[in-house]
Amino acid sequence: MKSLNGVKFAEMVQMGSHHLFQNADYVDALNVFPVPDGDTGTNMNLSMTSGAKETTAQAEVHIGKTAGALSKGLLMGARGNSGVILSQLFRGFGKYIASESELTALKFAEALQHGVETAYKAVMKPVEGTILTVAKDAAAKGMEAAKTEEDLIVWFEAVVTEAKASLERTPDLLPVLKEVGVVDSGGQGLVYVYEGFLASLKGEELPEKHAHHSMNDLVSAEHHKNIAGFMDTADIEFGYCTEFMVKFETGKKEFNEALFRSDLSSYGDSLLVIADEEVAKIHIHSEEPGKVLTYGQDYGSLISMKIENMRQQHIDIVGEGFQKNAPKQQATHPYAVVTVAMGEGISELLRSIGASYVIEGGQTMNPSTEDIVNAVKSIGAERVLILPNNKNIIMAAEQAAELLAIEAAVVPTKDVPQGMAALLAFNPEATVETNQLAMASASKHVKSGSVTFAVRDTSIDGIAIKKDDFMGISEGKIIVSDSNLERVTEELAKKLVDNEAEIVTILYGEDATAADAQKLGEFIESLNSAVEVEIHNGKQPLYPFILAVE
Amino acid sequence: MSIELKNEYGQIDISNDVIAQIAGGAAIECYGIVGMATKHQIRDGLTDILRKENFAKGVLVRQEDENLVIDMYVIISYGTKISEVAYQVQSKVKYTITKTLGMSVKAVNIFVQGVRVTNP
Repeated sequence: MKSLNGVKFAEMVQMGSHHLFQNADYVDALNVFPVPDGDTGTNMNLSMTSGAKETTAQAEVHIGKTAGALSKGLLMGARGNSGVILSQLFRGFGKYIASESELTALKFAEALQHGVETAYKAVMKPVEGTILTVAKDAAAKGMEAAKTEEDLIVWFEAVVTEAKASLERTPDLLPVLKEVGVVDSGGQGLVYVYEGFLASLKGEELPEKHAHHSMNDLVSAEHHKNIAGFMDTADIEFGYCTEFMVKFETGKKEFNEALFRSDLSSYGDSLLVIADEEVAKIHIHSEEPGKVLTYGQDYGSLISMKIENMRQQHIDIVGEGFQKNAPKQQATHPYAVVTVAMGEGISELLRSIGASYVIEGGQTMNPSTEDIVNAVKSIGAERVLILPNNKNIIMAAEQAAELLAIEAAVVPTKDVPQGMAALLAFNPEATVETNQLAMASASKHVKSGSVTFAVRDTSIDGIAIKKDDFMGISEGKIIVSDSNLERVTEELAKKLVDNEAEIVTILYGEDATAADAQKLGEFIESLNSAVEVEIHNGKQPLYPFILAVE
Repeated sequence: MSIELKNEYGQIDISNDVIAQIAGGAAIECYGIVGMATKHQIRDGLTDILRKENFAKGVLVRQEDENLVIDMYVIISYGTKISEVAYQVQSKVKYTITKTLGMSVKAVNIFVQGVRVTNP
């Protein structure tokens, strides 16, 4: 055969799609990369089916038009990484031959090559050892073979042979494949498509199911998926990996693979069954291996059994030392930073950036000297820095520092934003004095503002304030007052955010919602698009908003 | 900001930049992604594709309870099925973060900031 038209090509696509469909389960089983979720076969099959449907519906003698239909069908039905790549391969293929009515081996080769180039362009870091590699190697072989070979069947045979060889090489390129002991699933899928093409060219039928796949490949891929799926030994639901073979015997139950499979699937997961006329190989993860074996005995005698406790293995692999959510304990902090804040969210935030202990209080419930002393003692500090975060607590903090029998110093922070900036400058390697200086200077770099409400009618800084109005305060001065919270907050933000601003942190309190904070954040970004806005739920009382500008 | 993990030996702090790097690295390995974009399109220009050291600009990480929420700004190759590529990125990023940090990921939000036409 020297040339190929659209009708014949549509048949090839049908056959490729069918052959992939027949073997989709196996491709699923191989799927360990990029995410071992075992859906590569399913996804590729859905993509290819969509492509084949469109091709059949619009098949023309003109091969360019037929290939265009395939490309469109693949794009519409693309599912999964492998499906998207498949659609790109045939998109480039189709574009290249859009105006061709028939293909020679050389044209076909060039189109394959163009498809590969298109597919490679759509990714920043092509990972070799995948479907891309298989397509690339096969196309390169095609270009080479087309120089001397005009017969399409002989030529495409060389392409498929190379695709298979390339597939076998994938574990050498992609370490995870070697580790698990499988070939790449997407590459395998493409090989099935090409095998289907070839069979159609030759006018042959392909066997319904691929002959024996090695059980070991499947089992190791299955296990890899399992291990990846469990962060925690306690997550393992079916604890025993059970593998055995049943040798069928006359007088026992008649073996029916579908029934056998569905019966066994009620005992656990990761079920694999491979059978021929004489023997069935079974792999299953089950909590009741005994029952599984007993079930198997209904069909014949058991040979070569292996049962392993996966929980034990998992503990050995993962170790139990690492706990994600270790209980919060009042640990000892020989070198501590003790600070004061209102609101659970702010306390949490301060702890997350290095505060050893946060005393609840501030504004209307100021901690006493004694409270501060006790806090420092309770954490067993030997050296301590105290951040009052409120000008009314600075005195108490100073006194506490004097009373304490340990090295203690106060960084006179006047509000939470200053406290945060000071905390971030804490260096556990430096002396108390050095830290005191560094933290004090850091705290001055931050501009802070807060919004609260008036408790009585008054007039301050020439601004008339009515009870329950909101006030925007910055550096101890009232900037703005109004009955509308949003207006006050925005005025305050305008005052604070200038061209120098880089980061604005919004702490919203009990009297504001996340949506309010979000809105404020957007407003701030509209003032200066260069700022990064960070929003935290401070849960502080009395202050709907606290702003820190750096 | 950073994420804290505690175990018997002490604590491990992982800065948000590190998480952004890992998430960005996982994303650009995904098929169909041709770049990470910045979230400040207006300021940095639409076609500004970030280099590796700047991934943090196009990846936002925040912690909600014990879970991570990740926002990613990406540029996708023209002619691919965008919804599917975005879905692949979500799944790959979630998997990679879970595997490397042992943290659960609550959401990966993808913002497609542009498509890049490569001459077909």
